Amino acid sequence: MTQWPGRHQAYLAIGVIILGLIMAFQITGMSAGAGYARVGPQFFPSLIAAGLIISGGALLLKSTRSLGHADPTDTQGDEDVPAVPEAEWRGFVLVSGALIAHMALIGLIGFTLAAWLLCYGVCRALDTQHRVRDLFLSLGLGLTLFHLFRLLGVALPAMIPGVL
Amino acid sequence: MEALNALFSVGFATALTMSNLLWALIGCTLGTAIGVLPGIGPAATVALLLPITSRIDPTGALIMLAGVYYGAMFGGSTTSILLNTPGEAGSIVSALEGNKMARAGRGGPALSTAAIGSFLAGTVATVLLTLLAPIVADLALKLGPAENFAIMVLAFVAVSAVVGDIPQKGFVSLFVGLAIGMIGIEEQSGQARFTMGVLELTDGIDIVVIAMGLFAVGETLYTATYENKLSARVEGIGKSIWMTKEDWRRSWKPWLRGTLIGFPFGTIPAGGTEMPTFLSYSAEKKLAEHPEEFGKGAIEGVAGPEAANNAAVTGTLVPLLTLGIPTSATAAIMLSAFQQYNITPGPLLFDTNPELVWGLIASLYIGNVMLLILNLPLVGIWIQLLRIPRPLLYGGIVVLATMGAYSLRQSWFDLMLLYIVGLVGFAMKRFDIPIVPLIVGLILGPMAEKHFRRAMTISQGDATVFLTRPVSLAILSVAVLLLIGPPLLRSWRKMRRQAGAKVM
Repeated sequence: MTQWPGRHQAYLAIGVIILGLIMAFQITGMSAGAGYARVGPQFFPSLIAAGLIISGGALLLKSTRSLGHADPTDTQGDEDVPAVPEAEWRGFVLVSGALIAHMALIGLIGFTLAAWLLCYGVCRALDTQHRVRDLFLSLGLGLTLFHLFRLLGVALPAMIPGVL
Repeated sequence: MEALNALFSVGFATALTMSNLLWALIGCTLGTAIGVLPGIGPAATVALLLPITSRIDPTGALIMLAGVYYGAMFGGSTTSILLNTPGEAGSIVSALEGNKMARAGRGGPALSTAAIGSFLAGTVATVLLTLLAPIVADLALKLGPAENFAIMVLAFVAVSAVVGDIPQKGFVSLFVGLAIGMIGIEEQSGQARFTMGVLELTDGIDIVVIAMGLFAVGETLYTATYENKLSARVEGIGKSIWMTKEDWRRSWKPWLRGTLIGFPFGTIPAGGTEMPTFLSYSAEKKLAEHPEEFGKGAIEGVAGPEAANNAAVTGTLVPLLTLGIPTSATAAIMLSAFQQYNITPGPLLFDTNPELVWGLIASLYIGNVMLLILNLPLVGIWIQLLRIPRPLLYGGIVVLATMGAYSLRQSWFDLMLLYIVGLVGFAMKRFDIPIVPLIVGLILGPMAEKHFRRAMTISQGDATVFLTRPVSLAILSVAVLLLIGPPLLRSWRKMRRQAGAKVM
């Protein structure tokens, strides 16, 4: 099968439908009774689960319509799938890695160092041309924020209390 | 004039105190800064400020948040004009003509017409707000829970069907937002919903995490993945910041027209500033003396849309203050700021918290003057912000986002949620799914459920109450019309086109 342009959007739509189904499944597990005036805690979520399934289904329908779109007179279909620039997953992985390292380490190495790591990670992900400068400025940002908020009385986790 | 009396005796008396003036100035300055900076918008900033504002008094806090909201609109035009990358959705159109003007060495007048137009539109719209709000609030007092629920349904439909390229995406966004809003303990029954047994989720997901995740983390992930190669050039102001006599002559009508187009769009729940700014642009193009200048830097194409943008932003305060219905992402987050103080925006607000409401409205007049000064004579400062290297800018934004999320509970769990929401934001941006319906659904969903339940309780479980009460029926009919109208119209046109093709 050839790859049709709306396929990624179709996967997304299927994901939304699955989300709706998961919600519906969880609603069946709720124990509280019918509630006051027939509106229990399950009622509103049921509407939303149905809404997710229906809107996901509608998006899926729209995406699959571009399948075998041979009719050149119908320009409506082409705008369903917007042109997306080529992805550079290196940047995505670097930002994600920086964020995950940050959440894992903040309790251990404190705010300043974790923020340094995160900020520099994002700089590298965005292809900075000034690696050394950004290394120092990232540290400066972490230190500044840490001491600013220390003065404002907001406690941020520190490795060496009151210093960094 | 009861409204004017209240405005001057209560409003200005509140807004002109030293501390409230200071909050307004901080809000306007911060708003302009984040409006100028790409990558962080007013919605994310207001969300980031929520934890800080909970420590100060509600009036001052809301005055500051309102300053951020419309300050961002002023600042956004600077980025559009000088950098050609619109900072905010409402500034997209200004980039069309404004950047062309800047390239031709007329950046100064472009900035001037944007700032003066925004000031004029903001002020006229605030006058309209002053006069309209008490009237709408009086009418809204007569609405029961059934009508309130119907209005919320209308807001859901309008925001989802109108914003974005196709309605399917809007509704996906809306329902995802509604679903997230359901997470946590349900108030009446104490039933935990969709927490999957995770203790941290029983209070629901904080709006700070959602807004920072969608706007800051999602945006950074997207930029790193798709827009790394993008380079932008900052244009100069040119010879002078001031407008010539000719510029004034060509600007004043577009300013007024833009105001009249923008304000009503802000008041109806059709989400945001894109529509009125585009409408104003095409109106000016049609009415211009020199339509051939459009696309090459016509000043009318900056003046009109900028005025429309600011009028629309002020317009969103009408439904927010009188009905408690937010029609934009930033308004939705401001609503949660009200909730933080246990204040429910709505018709009663004018009776229960007159200092707050009138002080806030009065501060809009003052804020507009502050913004005019901040954005014209002091524009040079903001241009320096455009020179911050992009990698460091995004690095800083992500650090602030993690700080906002972490400070909620000092827990890495919120950082993980932030990343997950960031992934959702990344996907939404990649697939062009509008974020506004998600935010509106998230904030309004639980309120809609309450109104629905109240209406059902009053009617003793009879669901037809929404259709037998005339006002509720009328509002719901409009919602249905919005839902099925556009597709019907499209297929009718298609049928006609095909019929026409056959005849030929």
